[in-house]
Amino acid sequence: MPSMNGTAQKSALGATGKLGLPVVDQHSALEPRASEALAHGTRKLSGKEYWRSLEEYSQTPEFMELVEREFPALLEDVITPQNRRSFLKLMGASLALAGFGLASGCRRWPDEKIAPFAHRPEGYVPGTSVPFATSWDLGGYGRGLIAKSYDGRPIKLEGNELHPINGGRVTVAGQEFAAGTTDAITQAQILSFYDPERSRHPQERQFEAGTERVGVLGAPRTMDEFKAWARPYFDAMANSRGSGLAILTGASSSPSFADMKRRFAAKFPSAAWYEWEPISRDNEIAGAELAFGRAFRPQYNFANADVIVALDSDFLLSHPAALKHARDFASRRRDPQRGMSRLYAIEGTLSVTGSNADHRLAVNTRYVGAVAFRLATHLDASGVAGIGTTGGVEDRTDEISLFIQALGADLVASQGRSIIVAGPRQPAEIHALVHAMNAALGNVGQTVSYTIEPEYERQPHADSIRALADAMHDGSVQTLLIMGCNPVYDAPDDVNFPDAMMGVPTSIHLSLYDDETSAKCNWHVPAQHFLEEWGTTRAWDGTIAPIQPIIEPLYGGLSWSDMLALAAGDASDGYQIVRRWFDEEIGGDEAVWRTMLHDGVLVNSVWPVEESAAVGDWWSDIDIRSLSRGWAGSGYELIFAQSASIYDGRFANNGWLQEMPDPIGKFCWDNAAYMNPATAEKLGVGAHDMVHLGVGGANGPTLKMPVHIVPMLADDSITVHLGYGRWRAGHIGDGVGFNTFVLRTTDAMHFTSAVVEKAEGSHALATVQDHHSMDARTTRESTQERLPQIVREATLAQFLDNLEHGAGAFHDPAHHEHHLPIVSLWREEKFEGADHHWAMAIDLNSCIGCSACMIACQAENNVPVVGKDQVMRGREMHWIRVDRYFRGDPDHADIAFQPVTCQQCENAPCEQVCPVAATTHDAGGLNVMIYNRCVGTRYCSNNCPYKVRRFNFYDWHVEDPRKDGLKAPSLTIPDAAHAGAFEGGNAVKKLGMNPEVTVRSRGVMEKCSFCLQRINQAKIDLKNQWMTDRGNGWPRIPDGEITPACAGACPTQAIIFGDLKDPNSRVSLLHRDARAYSLLEELNTKPRNKFLGKVRNTNDALSAHPAGAGSTGDTGGAGGEVH
Amino acid sequence: MTSIPIDRPLAVPADNTYDDPTRRAPLIVGGHDFASLTDAVCAVIERPRPPRAWYIAFGISVLTLTMLGAMIGYLILTGTGVWGINIPVAWGFAIVNFVFWVGIGHAGTLISAILFLLRQKWRTSINRAAEAMTIFAVICAGMFPGIHIGRVWLSYWMFPIPNQMELWPQFRSPLLWDVFAVGTYFTVSLLFWYVGMIPDLATLRDRATTRTRQMVYGIFSLGWRGANRHWHVYERAYLILAALATPLVLSVHSVVSFDFAVAQLPGWHTTIFPPYFVAGAIFSGFAMVQTLVIPARQFFGLRDIITMRHLENMNKIILVTGSMVGYAYAIEFFISWYSGNVFESFAFINRAFGPYWWAYWIMVSCNVLSPQIFWFKWARTSIPIMFVVSILVNIGMWFERFVIVTTLSSDFLPTSWGYYTPTIIDILTLIGSFGLFFTLFLLFCRFIPFIAMAEVKGVLPQAHAHGAGTPGFQPGRQGSGAESPTSPARGKEHH
Repeated sequence: MPSMNGTAQKSALGATGKLGLPVVDQHSALEPRASEALAHGTRKLSGKEYWRSLEEYSQTPEFMELVEREFPALLEDVITPQNRRSFLKLMGASLALAGFGLASGCRRWPDEKIAPFAHRPEGYVPGTSVPFATSWDLGGYGRGLIAKSYDGRPIKLEGNELHPINGGRVTVAGQEFAAGTTDAITQAQILSFYDPERSRHPQERQFEAGTERVGVLGAPRTMDEFKAWARPYFDAMANSRGSGLAILTGASSSPSFADMKRRFAAKFPSAAWYEWEPISRDNEIAGAELAFGRAFRPQYNFANADVIVALDSDFLLSHPAALKHARDFASRRRDPQRGMSRLYAIEGTLSVTGSNADHRLAVNTRYVGAVAFRLATHLDASGVAGIGTTGGVEDRTDEISLFIQALGADLVASQGRSIIVAGPRQPAEIHALVHAMNAALGNVGQTVSYTIEPEYERQPHADSIRALADAMHDGSVQTLLIMGCNPVYDAPDDVNFPDAMMGVPTSIHLSLYDDETSAKCNWHVPAQHFLEEWGTTRAWDGTIAPIQPIIEPLYGGLSWSDMLALAAGDASDGYQIVRRWFDEEIGGDEAVWRTMLHDGVLVNSVWPVEESAAVGDWWSDIDIRSLSRGWAGSGYELIFAQSASIYDGRFANNGWLQEMPDPIGKFCWDNAAYMNPATAEKLGVGAHDMVHLGVGGANGPTLKMPVHIVPMLADDSITVHLGYGRWRAGHIGDGVGFNTFVLRTTDAMHFTSAVVEKAEGSHALATVQDHHSMDARTTRESTQERLPQIVREATLAQFLDNLEHGAGAFHDPAHHEHHLPIVSLWREEKFEGADHHWAMAIDLNSCIGCSACMIACQAENNVPVVGKDQVMRGREMHWIRVDRYFRGDPDHADIAFQPVTCQQCENAPCEQVCPVAATTHDAGGLNVMIYNRCVGTRYCSNNCPYKVRRFNFYDWHVEDPRKDGLKAPSLTIPDAAHAGAFEGGNAVKKLGMNPEVTVRSRGVMEKCSFCLQRINQAKIDLKNQWMTDRGNGWPRIPDGEITPACAGACPTQAIIFGDLKDPNSRVSLLHRDARAYSLLEELNTKPRNKFLGKVRNTNDALSAHPAGAGSTGDTGGAGGEVH
Repeated sequence: MTSIPIDRPLAVPADNTYDDPTRRAPLIVGGHDFASLTDAVCAVIERPRPPRAWYIAFGISVLTLTMLGAMIGYLILTGTGVWGINIPVAWGFAIVNFVFWVGIGHAGTLISAILFLLRQKWRTSINRAAEAMTIFAVICAGMFPGIHIGRVWLSYWMFPIPNQMELWPQFRSPLLWDVFAVGTYFTVSLLFWYVGMIPDLATLRDRATTRTRQMVYGIFSLGWRGANRHWHVYERAYLILAALATPLVLSVHSVVSFDFAVAQLPGWHTTIFPPYFVAGAIFSGFAMVQTLVIPARQFFGLRDIITMRHLENMNKIILVTGSMVGYAYAIEFFISWYSGNVFESFAFINRAFGPYWWAYWIMVSCNVLSPQIFWFKWARTSIPIMFVVSILVNIGMWFERFVIVTTLSSDFLPTSWGYYTPTIIDILTLIGSFGLFFTLFLLFCRFIPFIAMAEVKGVLPQAHAHGAGTPGFQPGRQGSGAESPTSPARGKEHH
């Protein structure tokens, strides 16, 4: 009744109903309709009452209905009169509940004081994140990052879209967008940054001359004390121009550090510089030098390559430019209709690259070179001029020859559109040969280009560490300054670095942790983490990127440049060192500097292509027979591989990385000797058995370690990963796995002949797949039977043929399986009114299995680490996992990766069985988990066919992940357990939590939410945007605005997220793609995630070859055709 | 162990297991009359001290019960992780034990309600103990869903209690159905048990020699005087409760089976589960009755009342239900093959030949093979054989639930497959639940008449004044209290 005038009515308001609702006098003079409405009222009005409308006034049936609809719960309690009985019922229940709730009601919260901002800093909005561009350097190659910071705390790292290694334009479903990608190691750096066990203060240690430097406790010092010692110490050295001073650093690409080095060297010209990286590309550099006369660095463009040959190369994962390679590689795999590249891999181990190959030849690593030569010979004979090999083509029909013939034909047919790439394990000559082959095939300038290789004249790392150790043994090193690296742990066994340390009177170690090397040095000085220092990096292609401090150093510490400045008496701080370099070498005004900081890259810093790179007359100097150690060798070969998670061991104290399953082995918290089933059988070992590995003859080092059986490895090739078995890594990393560095010598840094025999004992590995079922025949057979349904794949030819004939993409005429129409027991939710239908698509063709998504998710969603013991009990917590399947018989298997996260079923089986409705759907169709409501029946997990739900069996955030066995009652918060080892550990760890995501308590189920917090952030941003420029209607969230953590990190952008309501969004297009299928769709779960099936671009000439045949045999299979 | 001295020595039990159709076998042997029967049963309670065996058993039981308390305390303080459960096997011993104990309870209700409605008079000697077993088994069962959840202190959220959050349970979840089914079952069973006990409690009250006994039994006998009107109302109430309890025998384990059958896991998602679970429950329940009754009749001198014929009848039921269970196992296999579903067929092959093959074959040999010996009368009437078989069946039925629950270990995606290994806490909790059960049962033996005296008297020949040898107490059929037999309590008074 809008016409009614409130004041006019006041007089009419007399009585008040029992509940305070106004009642009207029936005889008031009102307009007819109003009085009709009021006629329903029954009560008198008195006094001052406010009312909203006459209907409300009179409690008409319409109004009552309205209220009932709006507040259904009020109907009983408020609108109908209260009575004593209902009051007592409610109160009784409330009191009963209060009694029940004693456990929670009487909880004591810690007494904490907070200090709010009296004056908020300008531009700071509490609770919002601020991105900063930065970069970091791993092994001498820069990666560009965006650090997301909340309230001054970095909590998440993303790839910088503008950085050529980490970012670039990606086209998915015909739509181009910018992507910034990262790998798992980069994602985990947040945890390392907040590691409570990072060194917090300098440590001074005294040793008696000439003794083993063990068992001597150091004294903690302050940084000022160290500086007070260091300044006069280095000043005194200035007179001798630094003779007797040796400086050992890890590799660094930083131009500003190089600048600081030059300044330091100017003051101490006699100081000797050494560089050591356990994982080194020295063979590649030497090979390029051999081929070109000086080293050039090859820049590959896999996006233009039709045929790729990886000779023992893991260019997709273990390469400084792997992220770019993966992105480019995926661009030619993503869209089979537009032509796919074909990847051949020839290797002894099973690398991630090899596992993505269309055709793979498993040969011992020592024979890869021989295969390369035969390939070169074959190319030569096929009329590809300019390689310069001599000798006829051998007319053999063995497996290798067939492979080479097919591969050779493919290469000849794709001249200028192919890439041959050799891995760092292969000797220099093979790299030179590869450069020659690439040149002969016309690839240079097309798919391969060359840029300078900076500092290529430096000693190879193995030689460098040997030279240093020799100098130390000689006694010619008076002062040793070590920055970054950890040679006591990872130097080759034969240089005997710990012994060499005894000959050095004064040693200083600058490092993040008080580690193995620190323990043998007179001084340990904490280093700054890259998130708290000033610096620069240079990427594989030369791009310069700044390192900006996102946060004040947590524990003080020095950067490498700071240390040199301190020693050189240079008063510049970190910022000044970088700025000085910038002003002097780059120049340009403040705007250039600021742009560099803002963008995270320096414009035009990419090295120009060296057109002059031409393969010289290198062949004449080579004696094929002496090319590589072990070509003629036989017996077992031992291959050293970098760990996909902890790299060379420097990240050993990072729980996320320790718990990241190896992409191939699928176990975590360990390393093992990988061997194929035939080799294991020959040795008489099975899973969990131990072997003795011995190298270098009878007196050489040996190591006893567990066996892990992996199909697809070459016979007699045993792969071991580096970086495990540390003893001063910290609480997390100590004693995890087996130290394979003891088997490494300077003359066999990459692979070597080994003596292998079965050893006593056993060692259980924490596998996250195939718990206890590896050996069972029935389970293996059943896996093979259901695999075509789970991971759908076809060869390119089959796929295109099926498309042409209108059949399903994975339809296989050999398998006609139909099932009854799917009928739901429940009324199915259609989500018709929803603004968005969030969905995901995961492209199995692009996924390379690198596991970056797992760690990105862990960082974003505060996913806890549970430890080896709990992983062995099947309690790992990863919200997204990468399933790995071997297909076919173990000798000629194929491998497929499938990232599995919550499928966000529209018809979710988990929801129906939860007795307390803790998991339900939101309006956007996402299956959400209400942690507060969950009581932990775990029924949802049982009923989840994808087994993606994770349960907090303990309060993981206060549990010690390294403690085995049954847990003690967690009555005391285990900060006490950490006391001594790392005080206040939990307090520091808390800083790294993402404040947008609940930290789950004990007894609660959790799972992937498609990064709901990011979805909501985008919505909030959109609403704020709309508030400022309203009037243009309600905008839609643009496609690509929301990126879940896994999708953002994915190096190949195999994971795409978006809104199905937008028919042109990438995810909508992908869901309509011919390759799209739902996992286990016959269960009628209606997942919001769809997988895009795998298509292998096999070579017909090799399809009879078992390695290829496995992928063509029974594609499609059950469920391939759904009606 | 010597038998209990009572008023007069028991005659060696006459054989009442003959199969001569011309002669109705007596239900009670040993020439008992009302008074001697009352004496025999009440002696167990009224003797100053129970036999030493009782003390030993009770001591062990209480210790075991204490251990259960410690295990639960440790669990609640530490977390569900102290058990062996994991993902994918998120349910372990707790749910196995829950289903096992609920199943045990079924025999009691079947004996007391269904056999009552079916006029099976032989039930009278065993129904009290069987019902007690039901109550205690359901108590043991009910404990497990409460403690198995992750946040035990919030277990009341599974009940529909009005609350300020306006949150209600989710009625599509079988776990919630469990709450109602087991809750109802417990309530009705308890009432049924108690109502049936009132006349006997009055007998004890009347025979009481101490003030305390008189008071306590007096309160619980609700003023029973054995009046005709009392008998009339009592019999009506008993009949109604029997009628109420009867569908529960079928419904409770059907609902429990829905926990599995409603889920869509291969090996769980089968329509055979409800009948198969009910058959299994009765099977295991009768086995447990045997396990309890065989020593009890020995120690308490009740061999005349719980006769060999009773035991033989129960063995026949064990044979029938055991065969039904075996049939269900076979049909499950057949259907999994017949369905052509790879997941389904693997689940069953994996049960038999996968990592849990040992559990499966323990189950089959105990449940299907061991009762087959009861085809032979000599086995049905042999105390050692039936005792061993009853234990084997209990073990087998526990393993049946174990096999079903661990089917979780291998579902759809092979990458998620796991293996469940119980921890010591799991095992001690299971043992502890037996401590709870036996503590309650031993207290029952000591303080409550083990035999439903009033009902047994009703089937004595003496109860039927005009038809010698035709037992008379048939409350369901008798229209008026006037035809009721003399109240046993009153009979005692006259005596």
